[in-house]
Amino acid sequence: MASNTYTGKVTVMEVLVWILLVAVVLFTLAPIVFMFVASFMDAKQILSMPFNWIPSKSYFTSADRTFFTNFHKAIWGNNNSFSFPRNIVNSLVVAITDSVTTVLLASLAGYGIAKFKFKGRNFVFMAIMATMMIPFEAIMIPLYMVASGMRMINTYQGLIVPFMVSAFGVFQMRQYLITFPSEYLDAARVDGLNEFRIYSRIVLPNCTPVVATLGILSFRNQWDNLLWPLLVAQSEKMKTIPQYITKFSEEKQTDEGAMMACAFIASIPMFLLFACLSKYFIGGAAVYESRKG
Amino acid sequence: MSKTKHYSIERKQARWGFLFTVPCLLFFAIFSFYPIINAFFTSLTNRDVLKKSWKFIGFENYAYLFFPDKYGTNGGFTLWNSLRASLTFTMGTFIPMVVISLILAVLLSQLRSTRQKGFFQISYYMPAVLSSVVAASIWMILFDPRGLVNQLSNWMMHTEGRDFQWLTDNTMLQVSTMIVYFWKYIGYFVILFITGLASIPPTIYEAAIVDGSTRWHTFWKITLPLLKPTIVLVSIMAMLQCLKTFSTQYMFVQNGAARQPIDVITMNIYFTGIRMRKIGRASAMSIVLFVIMLLLTYVQFALSKTDEVDY
Repeated sequence: MASNTYTGKVTVMEVLVWILLVAVVLFTLAPIVFMFVASFMDAKQILSMPFNWIPSKSYFTSADRTFFTNFHKAIWGNNNSFSFPRNIVNSLVVAITDSVTTVLLASLAGYGIAKFKFKGRNFVFMAIMATMMIPFEAIMIPLYMVASGMRMINTYQGLIVPFMVSAFGVFQMRQYLITFPSEYLDAARVDGLNEFRIYSRIVLPNCTPVVATLGILSFRNQWDNLLWPLLVAQSEKMKTIPQYITKFSEEKQTDEGAMMACAFIASIPMFLLFACLSKYFIGGAAVYESRKG
Repeated sequence: MSKTKHYSIERKQARWGFLFTVPCLLFFAIFSFYPIINAFFTSLTNRDVLKKSWKFIGFENYAYLFFPDKYGTNGGFTLWNSLRASLTFTMGTFIPMVVISLILAVLLSQLRSTRQKGFFQISYYMPAVLSSVVAASIWMILFDPRGLVNQLSNWMMHTEGRDFQWLTDNTMLQVSTMIVYFWKYIGYFVILFITGLASIPPTIYEAAIVDGSTRWHTFWKITLPLLKPTIVLVSIMAMLQCLKTFSTQYMFVQNGAARQPIDVITMNIYFTGIRMRKIGRASAMSIVLFVIMLLLTYVQFALSKTDEVDY
């Protein structure tokens, strides 16, 4: 809406708007700050009334407790099983592999559909788009059967393969590449590059924004994924981070501080990614807009 | 490039184009089309994970799901209960989310400084960076009878030491799951609306100012009608997303909350198919979920066709 530079005065309305905007900031950020400070507190301090936002040593109930007791407990587990590091590595492997394969396969298919006029192209495109209407939640049981038929239960393949590419990714790539100047491609052909080389040397390096957006989207989807690992990763060794957090919080002897420390460590990779590439996160949200087309 | 002259070369190139789509096509055939067909087929059988033999039982699973009075519930919760849980969750989450994120987006887009705008956007978006399980675990502690939310509500309602039963009362438990979801996705929807608002050309607003329109009037007569396609799209997207909710409810239930009030469809599928191993019945439930989402997607397509706005 138009700016009100022509008034210059601060109105009551403006003050109210600011109060509202700041109140929402408090609402969205307070729980995150809470997670951070609570990971240094013990259970008594976390549930004290009134709540004290600054962790303090004087509240500790036991003498051998330090600020890092919670983190130690989160990583080593309540029974010193030490499965946390393995689970975090699993999550990283799955999320990174899936984001790489999504980018590669989606850009390959998107390029094929956007820039070549082969027979049945529209059919291929429509078929891929149709899979967007099949929610994962509706096919997880048959997928589980497929995975167990392929002997992929409790393996990395089982965690990775069903999310190697997404229809949305193909759609994004196609929309982006459709405006890619064909002259570049023809010039490369005249120079004698084969079609695959053109894709890997010219097309892929020129679509960094979509690559970043898609890669991040796929990474966080897998980092966040709880349902599929619950089905396919049943052994302690193959569990992923969301599973570890659920399991850790279920255990009776887990105190709230250790829980928050665990949640905090699990969020570090996403915070780092967000700090470096926030533009693509937010772009990723905006990208959904284009589904209209 | 003229198309008629290089016909044969184009044909040769075209084959490459098809080749590029083959990996994706194979993938979707195995991991999307086959499973959905399989889900429909399995829903007509009495398959059980542990038993080798199974037989074709027609629509008995569906009859079982839709007429629990006649067939009993066999320990689980009914599909009707799940439909109710999913529907209340979806309605209770997406309506406040769309309305409030739209208001925030309109207010934010009026800010003059881009730095302030950026700050608010990032702050609102922050919770979306966390994973759903982390979000649920934070809020579970906040919803504790001695936790911060209870302290805050006591302060706001001027009551002393009252327990609002955020995680124990059936209605409050549903509200709690909605709050977690709302908190996590509000920033995401604000950004969607800001993008929508940015696509409205400023000349229209300039014209409105020249004509002496008040801001209030401008919002109702210009912003809202022009934003209608975005609102419809975002609403349906939000509904589809809410129907798929699982992590928050699962986390709450695993930590001792009652399952019945928040037994959303996805959780019922999981419990029936994996915990109780009734794959046939779980598949029938999956098909019900699929049909609901298909209908919503159809509505989206139908509405977005009639709602095209030209500036």
